[in-house]
Amino acid sequence: MSEEIKFKPLRLSGSQPFTQQEGVFIMLGERTNVAGSPKFARLIKEGKYEDAVSVARQQVENGANVIDICMDEGMIDGVAAMTRFLQLLASEPEVAKVPFMVDSSKWEVIEAGLKCLQGKGIVNSISLKEGEEKFRANAAKVLKYGAAVVVMAFDENGQAASYAEKIRICERAYRILVDEVGFPPEDIIFDPNILTVATGMEEHNNYAVDFINATRWIKTNLPHAKVSGGVSNISFSFRGNNTVREAMHAAFLYHAIAAGMDMGIVNPGMLAVYEEIEPELKVLVEDVLLNRRPDATERLVEFGEKLKAMGASAGETAIEKKAEEWRSGTVEQRLTHALVKGIDAYIEIDAEEARVKLRRPLLVIEGPLMAGMSVVGDLFGAGKMFLPQVVKSARVMKKAVAHLTPFMESEKAAMIAAGQAVKAQGKIILATVKGDVHDIGKNIVGVVLACNNYEVIDLGVMVSCEKILERAKEEKADLIGLSGLITPSLDEMVHVAKEMERQGFKLPLLVGGATTSRAHTAVKIAPHYSQPVVHVLDASRAVPVTTSLLSDDGKAEFVAQLRAEYEVLRKAHSAPQKTVVPLETARTRRTPIEWRADPNTLPSPEFTGVRVLDHFPLATLREYIDWSPFFHAWGLKGIYPRILEDEKHGAQAQQIFAEGNALLDRIIAEDLLTARGVYGLFPANAVGDDVELYSDETRKEVIERFHFLRQQSDREGKEPCRSLADFIAPRETGLADHLGAFAVTSGIGLKQLCDRFRAKNDDYNAIMAETLADRLAEAFAECLHKRVRDEWGYGRDEGLSPADLIHEKYRGIRPAAGYPACPDHTEKGTLWHLLDVQAKTGMLLTESFAMWPGSSVSGLYFAHPDSRYFSLGKIDRDQVADYSARKAMSITEVERWLGPNLNYDPK
Amino acid sequence: MTKTQQNHPLAKIIESRIAIIDGAMGTTIRTYGMKEADIRGERFKDSTKDLLNNGDLFSLTQPKMICDIHRRFLEAGADILETNTFGATSITQSEFFVNDPREHGGRKDPEFYQKIIDDAMLGDLAWEINQTSAQQCREWADRVANQTGRQRFVAGAIGPLTVSLSNSPDADDAGFRVVTFDQVKTAYKQQVRALIAGGVDVLLVETIFDSLNAKAALVAIREVFDEDGFAAKGTELPIMISAAVGRGGETLISAQTTEAFWNAVQHVRPLSVGLNCSLGPNLMYPFLSELAEKADVAISCYPNAGLPNPLSETGFDLGPPDMARYLSEFADAGLINIAGGCCGNTPEHIAAIARALEGKAPRKFEVRA
Repeated sequence: MSEEIKFKPLRLSGSQPFTQQEGVFIMLGERTNVAGSPKFARLIKEGKYEDAVSVARQQVENGANVIDICMDEGMIDGVAAMTRFLQLLASEPEVAKVPFMVDSSKWEVIEAGLKCLQGKGIVNSISLKEGEEKFRANAAKVLKYGAAVVVMAFDENGQAASYAEKIRICERAYRILVDEVGFPPEDIIFDPNILTVATGMEEHNNYAVDFINATRWIKTNLPHAKVSGGVSNISFSFRGNNTVREAMHAAFLYHAIAAGMDMGIVNPGMLAVYEEIEPELKVLVEDVLLNRRPDATERLVEFGEKLKAMGASAGETAIEKKAEEWRSGTVEQRLTHALVKGIDAYIEIDAEEARVKLRRPLLVIEGPLMAGMSVVGDLFGAGKMFLPQVVKSARVMKKAVAHLTPFMESEKAAMIAAGQAVKAQGKIILATVKGDVHDIGKNIVGVVLACNNYEVIDLGVMVSCEKILERAKEEKADLIGLSGLITPSLDEMVHVAKEMERQGFKLPLLVGGATTSRAHTAVKIAPHYSQPVVHVLDASRAVPVTTSLLSDDGKAEFVAQLRAEYEVLRKAHSAPQKTVVPLETARTRRTPIEWRADPNTLPSPEFTGVRVLDHFPLATLREYIDWSPFFHAWGLKGIYPRILEDEKHGAQAQQIFAEGNALLDRIIAEDLLTARGVYGLFPANAVGDDVELYSDETRKEVIERFHFLRQQSDREGKEPCRSLADFIAPRETGLADHLGAFAVTSGIGLKQLCDRFRAKNDDYNAIMAETLADRLAEAFAECLHKRVRDEWGYGRDEGLSPADLIHEKYRGIRPAAGYPACPDHTEKGTLWHLLDVQAKTGMLLTESFAMWPGSSVSGLYFAHPDSRYFSLGKIDRDQVADYSARKAMSITEVERWLGPNLNYDPK
Repeated sequence: MTKTQQNHPLAKIIESRIAIIDGAMGTTIRTYGMKEADIRGERFKDSTKDLLNNGDLFSLTQPKMICDIHRRFLEAGADILETNTFGATSITQSEFFVNDPREHGGRKDPEFYQKIIDDAMLGDLAWEINQTSAQQCREWADRVANQTGRQRFVAGAIGPLTVSLSNSPDADDAGFRVVTFDQVKTAYKQQVRALIAGGVDVLLVETIFDSLNAKAALVAIREVFDEDGFAAKGTELPIMISAAVGRGGETLISAQTTEAFWNAVQHVRPLSVGLNCSLGPNLMYPFLSELAEKADVAISCYPNAGLPNPLSETGFDLGPPDMARYLSEFADAGLINIAGGCCGNTPEHIAAIARALEGKAPRKFEVRA
């Protein structure tokens, strides 16, 4: 075939997709193969599946793209072992992300494996060994389960050893698969048999060359088919001499890949690099592989013996993966890392270290372990972790708790001996309420709780209120957890709460499930039961909530906080709680500004239009930094610079201030962040509560319109009902007013910088960098505001120091969408369009109108001396309807964006 | 798609315009104010467990109401009507008819579910619901098609089950499963056969939160096609596939990301692949666009009416104009060929969506050889 075959990648998946890259070798991890790894075989035979899972994990960590799983061994029940191992791997998110290769010579083992794969795996293997009919049938079954397939170069007459046999059988198999079975050609992977060379038998000398040539032929003549092989076979004659074997593997792969080999079964932790093979050895090895001289084998054997004698065969350890960097952190950091990543290898050692450090086992659970689970909860809430990972974290937690349990027991025993009261382990009743059959989410909560040493009694689904309460009494439960996914379940939960009150229950009630919500719990369920009723957002939150509710020290504070939060939610819900004036009345009470043609109050800017600032000097921005929020970000409340002298926090404040400035020095010196901004000034006039922006001073063509909201809460006639529109001259005055707009960021490069820190497990500096970037963005906004005041004319002689600027002693304001004066985030969309922010700076708005990158500020400039910041407060239905019409946005949508400002319950 | 599927009239339609699929059955049923006695009727009056939320059963006991809903969705402009069979498998039905062993300290495991699979009453009931619902949909789809001169299609709805093949409910054993692949496949095969017997045009595997459950359904469909002669006669029905995803675009329980999911199911050459249910249209967008980029088949999208909000009247955040606006945006971005709504979408929502999408071009795609 002369014409070039267009590359069609092999596409596979575990929980993550895998797409073959052209020219990149795919590593199929071999260590989870009982035939390839005696250690793995032993673990399976002894039923130590958990350790066997960690072998799989190491393969993935060492870079295997796919792991080959084989249970073919006389003493192992293949179907049972394959099923069990794959089901365990499904619960191991770090492994389950890669595709699996189900490897067996027995079809029933392969099929058992396929029944466990949610993704698209590879079957290894089928062949023409038992004839065409069987081959076709098996191929169709592979296709039915949606897997790729390895086809061995084998037929009714046996294994293909020579080049001619290899290509003959592969072509025959290819035609059957593609033409008759309809198998996608890119999903066909040929294994043309890597056979052992240097055996001393002359007819074996050309085996490597035959494989390489067959590979080249397949890749040119069987469009899109792939080639694979078990690499370690090639060097079998050199068992016990790893240096020679690895050199042979590296050299063989070098030539086979050049011929088009796509993938191979290898130990990814032990792959040597071709260029690094010792030159003398390389020549000898290639003489053997490429069959370059008749005495090649003897010469290599001789050299190998010499090496052995020198004791140089230490390759295995030399290429072992280097010690894991995360192990160098503090014990708290290590515990968090282990929980977030689901690594249980060191959890007991770390739990023990933390126990010694904190003195009491319970403090380890309620301290660093719970903190780690909170990180897991946050990541899950942000869509950065998925449920199986949460469950895996819980299972790691379980190990830590199991380690600590004996210590807690002896502590208890000591307390009992001293006559003190001791609390038993928490007992929780879980049930999906009557009428609802949804089970899976509740089960996950049950697992997570059980892993945290709570006794979970799961009553199942469709459980009546009576049964739940009866059982709770019987078991003397500490908590009841109710689950439900459909809307009618909410009423049933209310019913359970009422019944608990009626029957005088004293234990807390947890509710969760897709349609439950915090607000609904506060408004509809909690009022019916005098004990705490807690809405649990997701499985990851179940543990912190339960721990707080069952802890002696933490419960009161947790409940008080919960009640306060629910009170706020109820208030927001029960409407109206503020007296508001009708919108029409509010409009008559606009900010009293006397509009006249006065160059002092209505200055003319020196330009109109849009200007871009790229690579704005960070050193300049540094002078404009307001440091107080920097300390707030680190949990230190106080005002800079006084905070540095603070009695309690001064020392800590000085330390982070010094470290922050050191990093800032580096950021500036090495140009690690880029500041970019865009701003513009436009002819503008107010029209009602909108402000129109015009293309030029003729004020004929409206290019954009900002929509503002007006205060409506009754201010007893004293204060005006303000709107930002009040600060721009109304169109009917005929006066030439202007409005400014800006968007700035100092976050370009931030992600890369933080990633670099995090890759080194330096979370501290990653957070520091984020904090500094936030400060620089605010400083940029401040600095640019100064420049705009100058360009607008009225700021030139204000003569204020940067400190004065920070305290906003200047004229004019720069309110931002999403902040109290104009809480509607969607107005940012208008600003983005007006300034063409994305094209000019690369800053984006997300679906929820958040700015990206994070360290960004945008807003509007108002110049009038009477303009001031204010908080919109509550608004009523009439304004929502008016605003909806002005913005051409549905009322529901407006209500969604302005939820906290509504003085009524939208439903 | 196979050749027969490519020539299917629905395949032609979604190349020329965006086809509309109907809205929510469960949340719409609730607007009829039905009571426990209504769903029981005479037939299930002695049932020991509550049946009110076993919505599929209404197709047997309150066919008038269910057909009224079907009619309203068709009149709202739905081209594709879903059968009321989301939970019509012996496995899901067992939750409403068999006592949960956990109430008495037992557990659900493959042994328990084998009895369910072998239970003739549950099997017959599942069959009857599927066949009856398919027939009802067929009748109304054809009736409205004749009245309006526009062909309508019936999609046999195959739901995700109440059990997961990927998740272990046992804290001490991550490898435990309550049910086996073969049990799930057997239940699905029965459902598929009954839906086909009732006259559906398309098989719709939907609300996939566990890709392995979905795979069992797809294997079941393949086996029915092969065993019952559909493959030999070239009369295989087109398959539609639709997943329910979380904030990271992952199938909610088995956590498979969008492209990985497509790689895992694309071998069945479905008529369409898409997303439904989930967290509403807003949060679905990035994953829908990822799917549209990767998949070489039609894309379907029928999200919930926003996030569940128990304090709102419909239980969901978004009204008809909101849904219409979101789906218009998806259409304008060239992402969809089939659109509609899931939980919280009433016939009014579907009407608004249908109006908004009228005249909008469907996503262009080329089925790779």
